[in-house]
Amino acid sequence: MSGMGINRLALSLLAAVLVVLVPVWTAAAASTHTPDVVLQQADGTPVPLAAYQGKVLLVDFWASWCVPCKTSFPALDAIFREYQRRGLEVLAVNLDEERRQADVFLSAHPHQMPVLFDPKGAAPLAFGVKGMPTSFLIDKTGTIRFTHMGYSGNVDVRYRQEIVQLLSEK
Amino acid sequence: MILTRTRPFALLLLVVGALTAGGCATVQPWQRGRLADRRMMFDPDDAEVAYMTHWQEAREASSGGYGVQSGGCGCK
Repeated sequence: MSGMGINRLALSLLAAVLVVLVPVWTAAAASTHTPDVVLQQADGTPVPLAAYQGKVLLVDFWASWCVPCKTSFPALDAIFREYQRRGLEVLAVNLDEERRQADVFLSAHPHQMPVLFDPKGAAPLAFGVKGMPTSFLIDKTGTIRFTHMGYSGNVDVRYRQEIVQLLSEK
Repeated sequence: MILTRTRPFALLLLVVGALTAGGCATVQPWQRGRLADRRMMFDPDDAEVAYMTHWQEAREASSGGYGVQSGGCGCK
């Protein structure tokens, strides 16, 4: 009887440890390598991030309600137009839970960079996004090299320096 | 003591459940759309706040007392 009690205790301890540690493990999963996530185009077509392997990629997570996104969105679009010919890929990933709000924002902010959608928020979870907006600069090997959280006009110069550096790498 | 001997699993489940229940309310940064809505603000309309403050100053012959900028002494 007492042996069974110990077994039960061991089992419950194991369960307790698992319950506590699993969220820690998932949080630690945000590595420096690009997570293998799948985003959506406006019409629902899936776009795996793995398709951009071998290219310098800027992934920006934004939402219509996020105040700094109103300035970062056009600024990143300008960066896209400037460096597109040199091989830079930019993905503006919208995280609005309601698509209608994203559409209103997009119609008010004309843009050329591709906009993808992730209303369930799987991609920012995998990337370990801590604030809005957050953008990740990924090099040709698929490694996340630079991260920018929040936005102020001052970081524009740094973006350009980092992009030029990554584009020059082989 | 009897409880801890006979129902360790139930007790542990209760304790762990209570400890981890707080985590259920975690709101991720990208889930704050509704919290960022204007209707969630105490004073969503700046113009109305300015008008009401001005009206109150005139009525009560004193100003301030809101936020941290003045102390309500009437001297601004």
